[in-house]
Amino acid sequence: MTSSPVVWQAIEAFVVLNALLVLVAYVTLLERKFAARMQSRIGPYYVGRPHGWLQPIADALKLMLKEDVVPTASDRGVYNLAPIVFLVPCLLIFATIPFAPELGVADLNIGVLFFLAVSSLEIVGLFMGGWGSNNKYALLSAMRAVNQIISYGLPFIFVALVPVLLAGSLQMSAIVAAQQGLWFVAYPGLGQLAFVLFLVAALAAENRVPFDILEAESELVAGFRVEYSGMKFALIQLGEYAHMLGTSFLGALLFLGGWSGPWPAWFGPIAFLLKAVGIFLLVTWVRWSFVRIRVDQILAISWKLLLPASLVLLLATGFVVALRGAGGA
Amino acid sequence: MTFETVGFWVVAAVLLASSLAVVLTKNLFHAVLYLAAALVATGAVFLLLDSPFLFGVQLLLYAGGVVTIVVFAIMLTERLVGARIAQTSRAVWHGAVVAAAVFVGVVGFLIRAPWPTARPALPADLTPAIGQALVGPFAATLELLGVLLVIALLGALYFARTDD
Repeated sequence: MTSSPVVWQAIEAFVVLNALLVLVAYVTLLERKFAARMQSRIGPYYVGRPHGWLQPIADALKLMLKEDVVPTASDRGVYNLAPIVFLVPCLLIFATIPFAPELGVADLNIGVLFFLAVSSLEIVGLFMGGWGSNNKYALLSAMRAVNQIISYGLPFIFVALVPVLLAGSLQMSAIVAAQQGLWFVAYPGLGQLAFVLFLVAALAAENRVPFDILEAESELVAGFRVEYSGMKFALIQLGEYAHMLGTSFLGALLFLGGWSGPWPAWFGPIAFLLKAVGIFLLVTWVRWSFVRIRVDQILAISWKLLLPASLVLLLATGFVVALRGAGGA
Repeated sequence: MTFETVGFWVVAAVLLASSLAVVLTKNLFHAVLYLAAALVATGAVFLLLDSPFLFGVQLLLYAGGVVTIVVFAIMLTERLVGARIAQTSRAVWHGAVVAAAVFVGVVGFLIRAPWPTARPALPADLTPAIGQALVGPFAATLELLGVLLVIALLGALYFARTDD
């Protein structure tokens, strides 16, 4: 740690965190606009005419000024801690994501593992909220969430390991470096399959439609966050979108080559951001096009299709790597 | 005191407090949350020992996996059944005596071992070494563990089977 002092790293983390919050706020606007266009609507319009540019800021202000209601029957400590426990892992995953060569908070040599491990902690905050609210909808939602995350955690990890195997490293920057010639999504056969599986597993891990049974508004009102209001609601929402964005960044890193591509170096970080937002939009597109599927269907997809497929894919990747050697195509 | 020493004492305090809370708290759900805290703190100990890989695995398997499954079990049994299950640790004092005995035993061993004052130099990256050890000298152990897990899985399937 002599080359990069702790103070410098703290400043870097502060900058990344704040940029991230702004990005997350505007990603919500992007999603609302995108969804509106898909449904022949205009979307947010009045606040910050003509495109609703100030809508996220107005939303944030509104949520901060709202009354914070705590249900009397709730398990107070757990209820109050839950949004924070939920948010922290969602923000922590960005610690290992490098935005350009040498530009990131910490380029750990176990970067991908760190990402997967930390994002698996999100579930703790989720069931704390579901349990602490003392509300049967919230509890049912938390049960479904646990169910779903047990099922989709494994395929997500296995698929994320395919690029790791191809690059021969868990370090994010090394994985990008291995894709200088050819992005892993273009790797014949393996790449495309892995990318599709990754998207499906990511959709489920982010609890998005068609896998959003845990917040299913028609049956569970809003799921585990039904009793939350004001800033606590905002924290949960923030965590959810940060997680989604983080997963998009991970996808862009693992499969779309991060910042690498046929452009000058300065454009790299911008390209990386565009790729991540592209994946986010792809996921949003799916969200606004499909209907929610049933619990048993979700579990069947995971255990009968995704898990075996990702295992076979991992095995096949292992063979390919053993035959050709690691380190890019 | 260095940063690492301070870190160690903080983590140790959290670890001890949350471990005690797991056993002593009445509320079953709170006990699981304290368990999660204790497992994360254990991960932090690995991190302080320069083993980020074990930290990641600890988080992924224990804090993310085991805790989730325990919560699932509690949710299925407690609220949905309708009865409140309180944790009863009846033999707390017996447990304390046994724990103290184990502590004395471990310390007894440690005192006899020479204390190396300087930390041995580590290879730059331990993770590949762990991987190679698992498929090299410990390959048979790894495979046996795999068999064990398959047996556990089959057992679970046997208990979960429907009658028809």
